[in-house]
Amino acid sequence: MSDSPIERRPEEQLTPLACIVALLVVLLTAGCGGVNQAQPSKAPETGATPGGAAAVEPGGRPTTLPSSHPTGKSVTKTASPTAKASAKLPASPAHTEPLGKKVSAAPAAEKQQASAPLDLASLETRLKETKAIGLFTKIALKNQVDDLLNEFRAYYQGSLKTTLAQLRQRYDLLLLKVLSLLQDSDQSLATAVGASREAIWGILADPKKFAAI
Amino acid sequence: MSKHVGNWAPILMAALFAAPSLAADDVPLNKDLTAVIALQGLPCGQVVSVKQQGDRDYIASCQDGNRYHVFVNAAGRVVAQKQ
Repeated sequence: MSDSPIERRPEEQLTPLACIVALLVVLLTAGCGGVNQAQPSKAPETGATPGGAAAVEPGGRPTTLPSSHPTGKSVTKTASPTAKASAKLPASPAHTEPLGKKVSAAPAAEKQQASAPLDLASLETRLKETKAIGLFTKIALKNQVDDLLNEFRAYYQGSLKTTLAQLRQRYDLLLLKVLSLLQDSDQSLATAVGASREAIWGILADPKKFAAI
Repeated sequence: MSKHVGNWAPILMAALFAAPSLAADDVPLNKDLTAVIALQGLPCGQVVSVKQQGDRDYIASCQDGNRYHVFVNAAGRVVAQKQ
C-alpha cells in the first residue's frame, strides 16, 4: 500500500509537468516562428522584393500570436513589430506597385517622346482652336513664338550674338508658359505639346530643318 | 411634391449641365487679360475689372492696384502698357 503511492507520484507529477513543458516548447517555437517570419516582412517595406509581400501574407500570423501571449513579455515584444509590420503591409504593396509602374512607365514615356509623331500642323490647329486660352493670350503667345523664331533666324544668319543654350532657355520658358496655360483646361493638348518638346527643339536646333520650316 | 420635383427636374438638370458648358466655351476676359499681362512679365496678380475702350482695346485693373492699357497694335502685337 505504501509503495503504490510512491510509485504513482512520479507518474502523476510528470504527466502534468510534461504537458506544461511540451506546451511551453510548442508556444516558444510558435513564437520564434512568428519572429522569423516577421523579418522577411520588412523587405517589402523597403520595396526590395514584391515577392516578400506574398511571403508576408501568411502574416495572418496575428492569429497564432495571441496564443503566444501567455509565454512571456519577450514574446509579446517580438509580436509587436510583426503587428506593426502587418499594419504597414497594406501600404507596402501599394508602394511597390507604383514604383514598379513608374520604372516601367519611364521607359515607355521615353519611347513615346522618341517615337512621338510630330505633327506641327495639327498642334498649331489645336492651339488655335483650344478654348483653354483666350484670344488676347493666343495673340500674345503667337507674338512671342514669332520673336523666338526671329531670334533663331538671326542666330543662324550670324547677326545675333547669343548661344544655342540661351535660345534653348527661351524656348523652354515659352513652352512652360504654353503648358501652364493649357494644363488646367486642355490636358490632352498640354500632353501633346509636352511630348513634342524635344522633337520641336530638334527642328529648331538644326539649321537645315529650321530653314525648311 | 413629387409632381413639382418632376416638373422642375429637367430644368434643374439642364441648368446644371448648361452652366459648365457656357463657362468652358470662352475664357473670361478677366482671365484672358490676366494671362496676357503675366506673359509680358508685368506685376498684376489677377485682373479684377475691365473697361473696354475700343475693339481689342481694354483698361485692366489688377488686384494689386496696377492698371494696364491692353490692346492689339497695328502690327498685330498685344501690348500691355502700365497706366
